[in-house]
Amino acid sequence: MIIQAESPVLEIHDMTVSYDQSPVLWNVDFTLPSGQLIGVLGPNGAGKSTLIKAIMGLVEPSGGYVKVFDRSLAEVRSRISYVPQRESVDWNFPASVLDVVIMGTYGKLGLFKRPGKREKEVALASLDQVGMSAFVNRQISELSGGQQQRVFLARALAQDADLYLMDEPFAGVDMATEATIFELLKRMTKEGKTVVVVHHDIYSAMTYFDWMIMLNLHLVASGPKNQVVTEELLRKTYGGKLNLLSKVSEIVRKQDFNPLES
Amino acid sequence: MSFDQNAFLIILTGSLIAISCGLLGVFMMLRKMSMTGDAISHAVLPGIVIGFFVAGSQRGIEVIIGAGLLGILATLIIDWLRQKARVQLDASIGITFTLLFAIGIILINMLANNVDLDQECVLYGEIAYIPIDLWITGSGAVLGPRITYLALLNFTLVAGFIYFFFKELTLTSFDESFGSVIGIPSKGINLALMSMVSYTTVSSFEAVGAILVVALLVVPPATAFLWTKNMMPLIKLTTVLGIAISILGYYLAYLFDSSIAGMMVSVAGVLFLLSALIKGRSRKSAGTSIANI
Amino acid sequence: MDNFIYFFTFQDLSILYVVIGIVLLGIGSAYVGTYSFLDKKALLGDAISHAVLPGICLGFILAGEKNPIYIVTGAFISGGIATFLTSWLKRNTKLSEDAIIASILSVFFGFGIVLLTMIQKGGNPEMAGLNHFIFGNAIAIVEKDLWVYGGLALVIILTLTIYQKEFNLLVFNPDYGKAIGYPMDRIRFGFNILMILSVVIGIQAIGVVLMAALLITPGAAARFWTNNLSKLLILSALFAVISGIAGTYISFIMPQMPTGPWVVVSLSLIALISILFAPKKGTISRFFSRNKYLKKTHKEHLLKALYKNQELHEPPLTIEKIYELYPYQIKEIKDSIDELFKNGLILKNQSIISLTDFGISEAKRVVRLHRLWETYLTEYMNIAPDHVHDSAEKLEHIITPELEAQLERRLNYPQLDPHQENIPRD
Repeated sequence: MIIQAESPVLEIHDMTVSYDQSPVLWNVDFTLPSGQLIGVLGPNGAGKSTLIKAIMGLVEPSGGYVKVFDRSLAEVRSRISYVPQRESVDWNFPASVLDVVIMGTYGKLGLFKRPGKREKEVALASLDQVGMSAFVNRQISELSGGQQQRVFLARALAQDADLYLMDEPFAGVDMATEATIFELLKRMTKEGKTVVVVHHDIYSAMTYFDWMIMLNLHLVASGPKNQVVTEELLRKTYGGKLNLLSKVSEIVRKQDFNPLES
Repeated sequence: MSFDQNAFLIILTGSLIAISCGLLGVFMMLRKMSMTGDAISHAVLPGIVIGFFVAGSQRGIEVIIGAGLLGILATLIIDWLRQKARVQLDASIGITFTLLFAIGIILINMLANNVDLDQECVLYGEIAYIPIDLWITGSGAVLGPRITYLALLNFTLVAGFIYFFFKELTLTSFDESFGSVIGIPSKGINLALMSMVSYTTVSSFEAVGAILVVALLVVPPATAFLWTKNMMPLIKLTTVLGIAISILGYYLAYLFDSSIAGMMVSVAGVLFLLSALIKGRSRKSAGTSIANI
Repeated sequence: MDNFIYFFTFQDLSILYVVIGIVLLGIGSAYVGTYSFLDKKALLGDAISHAVLPGICLGFILAGEKNPIYIVTGAFISGGIATFLTSWLKRNTKLSEDAIIASILSVFFGFGIVLLTMIQKGGNPEMAGLNHFIFGNAIAIVEKDLWVYGGLALVIILTLTIYQKEFNLLVFNPDYGKAIGYPMDRIRFGFNILMILSVVIGIQAIGVVLMAALLITPGAAARFWTNNLSKLLILSALFAVISGIAGTYISFIMPQMPTGPWVVVSLSLIALISILFAPKKGTISRFFSRNKYLKKTHKEHLLKALYKNQELHEPPLTIEKIYELYPYQIKEIKDSIDELFKNGLILKNQSIISLTDFGISEAKRVVRLHRLWETYLTEYMNIAPDHVHDSAEKLEHIITPELEAQLERRLNYPQLDPHQENIPRD
């Protein structure tokens, strides 16, 4: 079941993404409404992170396209923010919490300009929102996993975007913090911002999200939570891989080049 | 001890080179590209030799251009092997630099009769000759030691590059994908850094030799990284280490009657291993204390 | 030519020694190197080969002459220390493996240069021989060297052959090896020793700076030709031996030329040939199979267009009409028409193009696959009917008969596709 949004912030048109010539996401096609908290659900290896990366232009889709605010990604870069998975960087990097959060302002700052007082204030305010004010000068390798996750969140907040894409931002975060952060995300959506969150826990997802995207190598469902979270669709999402799809992937992988590229 | 002008010049030049290499090396290390730096510094050799042949001397701009081109060519070959030929990264680096370096050695041997290019000088450098290698203008005016000027120019460009692109370099080193997401030209920054590394390699080869440049590129940043937790202290300590290595290297080489460049690297190595010994152990205890929080 | 015959007929016993040495060395280092290449540890070999220089110098200083036993022992010990330091630093500091390898490499090499200049200034007449260790000079191998270097190469080859199973485990799945009770740490230790030994035996002929090539390049080149480990090992040994002999020959006829660089150049040439011309994995072969595939897609698209035209009972298509349909692919379409005609799939009547019976059946197959995939996308992947065409345009060319049967079963032999068009069957 795929329910289309009216005047969508994000439109994905028949997108197929391959890694090393193996399609990991087949023909995904949906639209997302603005001002909502949107969850991306699916089993491990369902292509959730790939979906986010493809939207952000970090992986090149082999077919289809993405439109954000009805424009191409390059035109609206500064209005989109991204929270990557914690494991994607080396936390031994010589930087303090504040240094990392200020990085969120670099996009608007432009070449040659240095972050100044204003950027520092923005960063401090963002840290305050995620409850990390006490750790401003802490070296990032000395944080716990959940704290590192919150630093990444603060960095995205410092960017002050309209669309936020977050890849597993709650991995390693304790229940109490998770609840506070969800409150924060809710407040943001009330201000008209759209927040897309890759999430692994279906129970908390039911509590917090307004809209759900369910993936399992292909799009199983997309729509308002109470319409798409049905027993049948959940079984389709979590009930193992599609045999036929895996076979097609295998055929594609065995070609000497990627036949899905145009 | 009276002021020894020659010693001062050598140490000054050595420090300038060590700092230029170290500053670039910090970013190479943080990008986990130290071995690419090593590869570039080997790979520029044929460019140096060809430039030398075209210009007829080591002083020509052709040498710098030749080496710069080869440095960029090396990164392009590595990329081509990886993406088009699908060879794994470590092997791509290994194949590329050994081939280019081998070609360089062959060219030196082929042209040995035609040009006055000393294999030893290109490979190991001879910083000791700086005071007598003067820059003389066409009209015969003596302006001072040529290599020191080159090192100063190189240092100015490297420092300027890092000053102006500090935030882009830092961000793309830490989290390249976030960088491209917020619209920072990661590829351009990367190519610029590689070009600076090749240029620095060439500019320094006469003094410390093509092979030993890599030591200055890699070891001071790695040593400083063991002691620091933030970018600014890391950069400052790398700079201080560059100067300390030059001073100690010079006097120890004098004492043992050995190659100055080689001694600088040996000093760097001793400092590195000592730091690893001290910080390596304390890291373990720090690790457990973090786990206990 | 005289030189060539003189060299390869081995009239000169010393040439025979050199060639035997280089053959054993080539096989040994290619063996070890292929394993370390598969283990993605290729650059460790580079670090070790630079790191043996101080050991060579110390061996020379202690012996006072170019004694192979002192030099090999010295090189082995300093290579061993470098390997140990590398793994110690990796375990005990926050430095990345890349920075550690680069640091160890340059520090050991720099220290080696210091010792070298000290020996040089000491004025030992044997010094000239020591310089060969940097870039290699295979011609200088004499009988007494052969016993040491050749003997060690044999040890490496035999050990790798006897313990092949264990080393395979180490490279492909060390965790599994541990789980089934193999002492993986000790196997890793043994492998590191072999790696150091293979570097040590290469320093005389290839030199410390370029020894890494003999470890990395043969395996990387051989990988283009085969997926089978035994074949991979044999092929990489063959590549190493050929380049070894080529390099030796060149420094035989041009005595001022060091051997190492020429070995590396020949090796790289073999690698380039492999990268370009190897069947299947080579870039040229990939280029051709891609071209062939593109041709196939053009032909199939044309068949589809002709079929659809018939299906809709439109007036028959002329060549000009077809060109209008594909304004950007005139040349491709022209080639496709020629080929389809040659293979009896279409008929040309003046400028009118029509399908033969064989052509119709082939066109039906492509249209069927296209429409089946569209149906699958709409029914099983919930994609809107107006969004499924692009994907089907690509998949219709690669779906196999087996998969087609599976699609038919899964969709329960549908009559109509999502656009209410007939799914044609013979």
